[in-house]
Amino acid sequence: MSATELLRVEHLTRHFKIGGVLSRRTLHAVDDVSFGIGEREIVALAGESGSGKSTIARVLARIYAPTSGEIYFEGKPVSAIRSRRDRLRYSGLMPMVFQDPFGSINPVYRVEHGMLRSLKLHRPALSAGQRREEAERVFEVVGLGADMLQRFPYELSGGQRQRVGFAQALAMRPRLILADEPVSMLDVSIRIGLLNLMAELRDAQGVSVLYITHDIASARYVADRLIVMYAGQIAEAGPIEEVLAHPKHPYTQLLLSAVPDPRAPLSVAAETDRGEPPKVIDPTPGCRFRWRCPLAIDVCAQVTPVLAELAPDHQAACHVAQADAAASASAQKVEQ
Amino acid sequence: MSEVPEVLNVSGLSVDYVLDRGDVRAVDDVSFTLGRGEFLGIVGESGCGKSTLLFAVAQLLAAPARVAAGSVTFQGTNLVGLTDRQLSAVRWRDMSVVMQSAMNALNPVKSIGAQFADAMRAHDKPSRAEIAARSAEVLRMVGIDPVHLGSYPHQLSGGMRQRSMIAMAMLFTPDLVIMDEPTSALDVVAQRSLMVQIKELQLSYGFAVIFVTHDMSLISHFSDRLMVMYAGQVDEFGPTRTVFDRPLHPYTQGLLEAFPSIRGPRVPLKGIPGSPPDLAALPAGCRFHPRCPYAVDRCAQVEPELYELDDALVRCLRRQDGSLPVPASQEGSLSR
Repeated sequence: MSATELLRVEHLTRHFKIGGVLSRRTLHAVDDVSFGIGEREIVALAGESGSGKSTIARVLARIYAPTSGEIYFEGKPVSAIRSRRDRLRYSGLMPMVFQDPFGSINPVYRVEHGMLRSLKLHRPALSAGQRREEAERVFEVVGLGADMLQRFPYELSGGQRQRVGFAQALAMRPRLILADEPVSMLDVSIRIGLLNLMAELRDAQGVSVLYITHDIASARYVADRLIVMYAGQIAEAGPIEEVLAHPKHPYTQLLLSAVPDPRAPLSVAAETDRGEPPKVIDPTPGCRFRWRCPLAIDVCAQVTPVLAELAPDHQAACHVAQADAAASASAQKVEQ
Repeated sequence: MSEVPEVLNVSGLSVDYVLDRGDVRAVDDVSFTLGRGEFLGIVGESGCGKSTLLFAVAQLLAAPARVAAGSVTFQGTNLVGLTDRQLSAVRWRDMSVVMQSAMNALNPVKSIGAQFADAMRAHDKPSRAEIAARSAEVLRMVGIDPVHLGSYPHQLSGGMRQRSMIAMAMLFTPDLVIMDEPTSALDVVAQRSLMVQIKELQLSYGFAVIFVTHDMSLISHFSDRLMVMYAGQVDEFGPTRTVFDRPLHPYTQGLLEAFPSIRGPRVPLKGIPGSPPDLAALPAGCRFHPRCPYAVDRCAQVEPELYELDDALVRCLRRQDGSLPVPASQEGSLSR
């Protein structure tokens, strides 16, 4: 993994100041988050609303500056980017696809307008004819006919608009696409097509995707790895099948039990969780999940758990899970 | 179901949007009955008429929409054509509505308690003590501490706002509660606990529920009967388990196959090609035939009716004439 790592995020933190001059407080949207994305890899970033997943995407897209921490793209620190040319190159290599396909395309121009403009900006070496060819090429890749370039946004369905979003991202020859809930506003019958498109882009074009979602089932469908966020921190991370089969963090377990699954047997009586994710304002040490956690012990209220590897490439930030793993490891040693 | 006394009888209901370019039929000839304490789920994609149908049942349609044909008989009275004054005797006392976004449905500048009091005074002449007692009682019913009667909507989380909307709908112990995607703004954990809460309330107070959603998997464990709508019509209607275990309409099958699962093997899914038709320019014959994998020539010419097949209703010519054999029920084994 580390040999071909495309993006590395180290101890990323983003705080927001809230309140007036006298009641200045700090909202910890993202706290000490580290992860990497390899080449040709789809990483799902999952969590409830307010868990900080969109903030991470915005910091990566340089919409927000990080409060502390560093992002390495292709091994180079992003904070070192100074010139306009490097900035454009970076945002071209890592474009973003937004949640709302209705708000992200200018409604008064034909679809080609935005396509050709971004090509002109990010790939100035192309001639006008080449730009048009390139626009037609990426439209074919995302499954839209070249004639769609001449349409106005209102003539397109939600699924087609979101494909336009991916086409625009793809035209910049990206290494990594930041997809912030790209399918959550689409109808069920159309969603799968977009998810398949993301997998195709990975397999055929070699593009990596950071897929931000609250839908674990769709994450499992396309992603290679899963990062579960809770209250601004990573609760658990690892290969997606491994995490779903053996969730270590009680929050991941709660999340999985809440996923509606018509194929699962009836279980209306499943325990209900009435808790809410906390707003992380001026936090004190301790696990942020402890108020909702069925396993919480004394240490959870005093020490903030850090991510530790509990199985190969599978990390969780939970005192109880870590103690369990240590206990079973030493038990195995005794047996040997 | 016939022994259960009927709460609602919708018969041949059609709703038109009267537009300059001609009338558009958003709901086309929908009929169903609802027994006391029954939970009816209505699913469909955006623009299939499910919300319009709800608004028609609750008599909340505003111009340019109007009921073009049919009746809505609620506890023996046809609501179609009643004046607002006559309707207000029924509304909220016997039938209440929970809307999609509590954020917009609650008044942001009034406390929850004041809004509860407004609703009670609009339909009754309660004393202050009665209002206070009942308000606290309904909040407790949905698991919120009555101190929040003094809270303003912005002080509550999304889940609590949605819960207080449901509490408000319970003020007069209605016989029918109509819910329009009440959980769609919530994340999975909150969504799951709200669904369980609704089901618990329904079982203990015996009101009937019409629950509209685009997420079929959400109600698979909660509804008694399921209605699948497509392009303004009922495509399939039957007991929920039957519809899930043995979907008859190709559209229902497509919808079910469009959900990735978090369990079982990872299988490639196809979704449904194309998008729902424009209601102003419907295809000839079966409205689903342009997207249907089983369509034959006849489907483009003959408009199918709603045929009875075993204990379900289905609008499909090929199921009716047997050229598409009824699949064996895959009871509980959809896990494949």
